[in-house]
Amino acid sequence: MFDCSHVKIAAGAVVCVESDIRGDVTIGARTVVHPKARIIAEAGPIVIGEGNLIEEQALIINSFPENILPDAEDIEPKTMSIGFNNVFEVGCVSQALKIGDNNVIESKAEVGRSVILSSGCIVGACCAVNTCEVIPENTVIYGSECLRRVQTERPQPQTLQLDFLMKILPNYHHLKKTVKASSTPARS
Amino acid sequence: MATLLQPEKVLYLVRGEKKIRVPLSQLYFCRYCSELRSLECVSHEVDSHFCPSCLENMPSAEAKLKKNRCANCFDCPCCMHTLSTRATNIPAPLPDDPTKTTMKKAYYLACGFCRWTSRDVGMADKSVASGGWQEPENPHTQRINKLIEYYQQLAQREKLERDRKKLARRRPFMPQAFSEKYGLGTRLQRQRSGAPISALYGLSLKEGEDQKEITIEPAQALDEVEPLPEDYYTRPVNLPEVTTLRQRLLQPDFQPAGASQLHPRHKHLLMKRSLRCRKCEHNLSKPEFNPTSIKFKIQLVAVSYIPEVRIMSIPNLRHMKESQVLLTLTNPVENITHVSLYTCEEEDPDDINSTAKVLVPSKELVLAGKDAAAEYDELAEPQGFQDDPDVVTFRKSNKIGFFIKVIPQREEGDVTVAFKLRHDFRNLAAPIRNTEEVEATSEAIWLTHHVELSLGPLAT
Repeated sequence: MFDCSHVKIAAGAVVCVESDIRGDVTIGARTVVHPKARIIAEAGPIVIGEGNLIEEQALIINSFPENILPDAEDIEPKTMSIGFNNVFEVGCVSQALKIGDNNVIESKAEVGRSVILSSGCIVGACCAVNTCEVIPENTVIYGSECLRRVQTERPQPQTLQLDFLMKILPNYHHLKKTVKASSTPARS
Repeated sequence: MATLLQPEKVLYLVRGEKKIRVPLSQLYFCRYCSELRSLECVSHEVDSHFCPSCLENMPSAEAKLKKNRCANCFDCPCCMHTLSTRATNIPAPLPDDPTKTTMKKAYYLACGFCRWTSRDVGMADKSVASGGWQEPENPHTQRINKLIEYYQQLAQREKLERDRKKLARRRPFMPQAFSEKYGLGTRLQRQRSGAPISALYGLSLKEGEDQKEITIEPAQALDEVEPLPEDYYTRPVNLPEVTTLRQRLLQPDFQPAGASQLHPRHKHLLMKRSLRCRKCEHNLSKPEFNPTSIKFKIQLVAVSYIPEVRIMSIPNLRHMKESQVLLTLTNPVENITHVSLYTCEEEDPDDINSTAKVLVPSKELVLAGKDAAAEYDELAEPQGFQDDPDVVTFRKSNKIGFFIKVIPQREEGDVTVAFKLRHDFRNLAAPIRNTEEVEATSEAIWLTHHVELSLGPLAT
């Protein structure tokens, strides 16, 4: 269905060539996608907002739910939307359909498809969250047992890091060309 | 395969006050008594205190004063991780000119694991990086201190009364001047070696009575208790705000029920301990004073004196069928060791766990000494030991592999066997008695240990 790689990268985003982006993906301005990051839009488009930081070996995948065959006819493609100022650290796996702003998914964390992250949430390292719920704002999930607590302020946006990366990454990597987001995606 | 190398599979018996079965790696060997010692039959003494995060040494007196807590480091009240100090820039008005603002550094504490910050409990940012953070005061400190003082004085007074009675009984036999002249002569004085000698004499007894009498008010029982708030049963519980028991009990002074009252506490100090054999009072383990060093000044661990048995491979074990289990024996010392194995006799009081019969090799096994340079020596000469190929499978520097035959006696359950290991031990710690003797004065003594192996379940 959507196997053409039509990636719309806004001006100002830094997307390395070594990253693996497949499907209908829109990437907002000031977003940095590191090499070896994978953004795969299998079962629907992915829209990524501005100011996000997607590190190496992170996997953002809009995949089919487990028990539905890909060839069945009556699935409508669901769009995965990701807000702004999120951080996807090294090795994390995110399948959540809706991610708000200022969230941090730490290294090797896994976020399932039925989870909706609101704003300011932090999913700790190696924590797997695959419940069917909306995580309230400013929640921190940490520890081997995925304990939770609420913090009083949202995590700070990584502006310094983003600025630094946007300056340094082009020195060492080729970047994917930016495409204006107004063009229509081609369908196979 | 790696599970066979686990030390818990091979247990050595320690004959102390209690009979304990422990792997050899957890045992100590007193070479003056020539016996195995476990952690339970040695006395533990505190060597030094140090903070685990800043590795700062602290003398014991200072540690006691600070209640065994570090002055600089804090623990996160939420996840007990170490807190780190972070800085932000905040605009602050210049003292000279209120209209202009300059960037000043403000410090706050943050936990890297659960993202707790000191701002969560309302602690203001401090302008100094360290030393600005205070633990909250316990409101009952004054009362507790007063109670402690009072009871200390009471205890001292009772002790004086007891001694005065004893002294009064002996008074006709020993005049005051006599006992004063002869210091630590009397039994009474020797027993009270810690207490000041002056407390024993009539003169200072009067002084003690003149000391300020500390009185305390008795605690008052209240009839009326504060009533519970009206919505106590109907208000929905805000789960993230409720503290866990562990978080609560880490702060026994306050035991806050709400997470917004969890204040950080100073980090607990850890200590280095030294072990001493209870029978001969020699040190078995004495670590170095420096907290960053993991070496020992004295390290009499059993692994460096006693040959170690390890399981190498276990075949399928069947009920009442004889199978061969491959074991290895390693020689930790540098001279040749002779080891013989014996089966436990019938009605051996140590043999309570074995569920299988075992047949051990009857010949004596000879182990070569540990040679540190052997691995670098390519032209290693054959060691010239005549090994019975039925018993000894391989030989490699100071290690041999040998077979034992196991016949499980029970149909179900784990197979455990036990046997006695007898080896010769040369005591290098013994003092050289006669310097005129030319030959080495270290004599071999034979030590016997009871070893138990757990070989796992029967093959189905």
